Amino acid sequence: MDTYANLAALVLAGLVGLAFVFALYGAVKLLAPSRPYALKNATYECGHDPLGEAWVPYRLQYYAFAIIFLIFDIETAFFYPIVLVWRQIGTLALVETLIFVAVLLVGLLYAWKRGVLKWD
Amino acid sequence: MGLIENAERPNFILTTIDTLLRWGRSHSLWWCNAGSACCSLEFAAMGGARYDMDRIGSGLVRASPRQSDVLLIPGPITKKMAPIFVRVYNQMPDPKWVIAMGSCAISGGAFRESYSMTRGADTVLPVDVYVPGCPVRPEALFYGLLKLRARVRGTSNIGLAHREPIYVPPDLPPEWEAEVREFLGEHEAC
Amino acid sequence: MNARIFLTQLLGALGLIVILGFNVIIMDWWERKLVGHIHRRPGPMHTGWHGILQPFADMLKMLSKEDIVPDRADRLFFWLGPAVAVVPAFMALAVLPLAPGFALADIGNGLFFVFAMQTIMPFGYTLIGWSGHNKWSLVGALRSAAQLISYEIPMLIVALGILLAAGSARLTDIVNAQSTVWYAVKQPIGLLIFFITAVAEMNRSPFDMPEAESELVAGIHTEYAGMKFGLVMMAEYTAMLVGSWMIVLLFLGGWHLWPLPPSPVWLVLKLYLVQSGIIWLRGTYLRLRVDTMMEMSWKYLIPASLANLMLVGVLATTFKGF
Repeated sequence: MDTYANLAALVLAGLVGLAFVFALYGAVKLLAPSRPYALKNATYECGHDPLGEAWVPYRLQYYAFAIIFLIFDIETAFFYPIVLVWRQIGTLALVETLIFVAVLLVGLLYAWKRGVLKWD
Repeated sequence: MGLIENAERPNFILTTIDTLLRWGRSHSLWWCNAGSACCSLEFAAMGGARYDMDRIGSGLVRASPRQSDVLLIPGPITKKMAPIFVRVYNQMPDPKWVIAMGSCAISGGAFRESYSMTRGADTVLPVDVYVPGCPVRPEALFYGLLKLRARVRGTSNIGLAHREPIYVPPDLPPEWEAEVREFLGEHEAC
Repeated sequence: MNARIFLTQLLGALGLIVILGFNVIIMDWWERKLVGHIHRRPGPMHTGWHGILQPFADMLKMLSKEDIVPDRADRLFFWLGPAVAVVPAFMALAVLPLAPGFALADIGNGLFFVFAMQTIMPFGYTLIGWSGHNKWSLVGALRSAAQLISYEIPMLIVALGILLAAGSARLTDIVNAQSTVWYAVKQPIGLLIFFITAVAEMNRSPFDMPEAESELVAGIHTEYAGMKFGLVMMAEYTAMLVGSWMIVLLFLGGWHLWPLPPSPVWLVLKLYLVQSGIIWLRGTYLRLRVDTMMEMSWKYLIPASLANLMLVGVLATTFKGF
């Protein structure tokens, strides 16, 4: 019951937040002048005519970073249960975690050596 | 929708809201610095310790015209730059104001007789406050800003949409037009 | 669920709105005031007593400013972007306790809920930047995404060290474990890394890559006018509140100020001290370059945070009282 009440509270907080944002949008609709025309709604590009598309393909390096991020993020998820019961397990937890971290660090060093982490 | 601007006639609620809004707007005039010449440095001095325009709430110089209220023209406008100024002005959200800073922005100043200069900012933009000087001292610009605040504070916005048409920039003379096309053309190449 | 709980929760959620609004108002004023005094100028002075009404003037101005939606923008996401940035920060506030157990939802997994909400914020920033159909804002959005995911890893790993020491993910338990000695004393490296990454997660200077005014006109919100820009600012200030709240809860002992009796007053005091420190950083440091910033996370902070975790692990295994 308590869990459900907490869950309901969180959902409620999200809904109230959304309502708050849209209430502000409503107030803007009410108070702000609105006189759109083509020149005003054109993309701002420092006063020039916008050249070409803005939604263009971007660098592959972002993808490499996203992959490494995923690996490390999942790793933290694996750490999470071990860390919570660390005191009950004792030395065994330390040894296991050390092995795990060592494997991860080898991976990070490999990426580093391959120049994935170099942003240029 | 624009409750205030589109109202046909004032009533108690509208005037109260309008007074509040005018107070808010006049205490929070954010700049868009067009930075066309050396008066811009005097403007920068106005943000510093001695003059401190932030004390009246105008301390934010937004880089994007979308978030600013006052377009500052701190210098002469060349004929090539004129369409760009017009575009930046038009891309600012309503309500918006323009300050012409220095003799070049007022009348062309020292460059009045030049073949490549406009004769003042008001040939292309609706200027609200003219601040004379060459260059303008920060005190003078501060005085101009206070005048603009008084104007923002004192002008009712009720029914503004019926009174004030959308500002249409004057057509560029044909001899500039060719230059502008040429200018934009060489930028499209790169 | 009965109506009484529902009403209490609804009131609590509205109370969170009050906290959010109060924080935005205070911080907007305090930031301008503090940065002003760092520059040896008074900051806002003429709008009410020492400019205290300045945030209200800004708010009224933004509310009555025209709301431009560019023709080429993706209209749906242009409207949703600020909401996606504000709402998770707001939801994170719901689990942050002000006093023992006094939160809207004092859930057992509070720490990770806050991190989950902080992970959604980059989505908001990316949507804000992408939907404007502007080159500057797209670059800002990508930088923001790269920055936020890079700095999240050391932050999470350092938080694991805290979990290890406290043995619970409930924020109240973590704070109560620090009733005499703060984790700032036990894990100083952790505090340093957590502070740096928290500042980066808030997009504050010196890590304000997404909104690099000297490089990308106004960064992710180049196309945002009026109240939508105000909402982005609000998201930023709320993220700052959540981040500093986490620093206070995890490292600075929350409501404990040994040997004085615990009180929410200490928590609020510490909260605003930490936020003032972050503003001080803005008044002092220059913006990092984007490549230095990325390398700092991957090459220094992640190995350092793993070393910190191992150090804490060894200490916790060796000394029972750690």
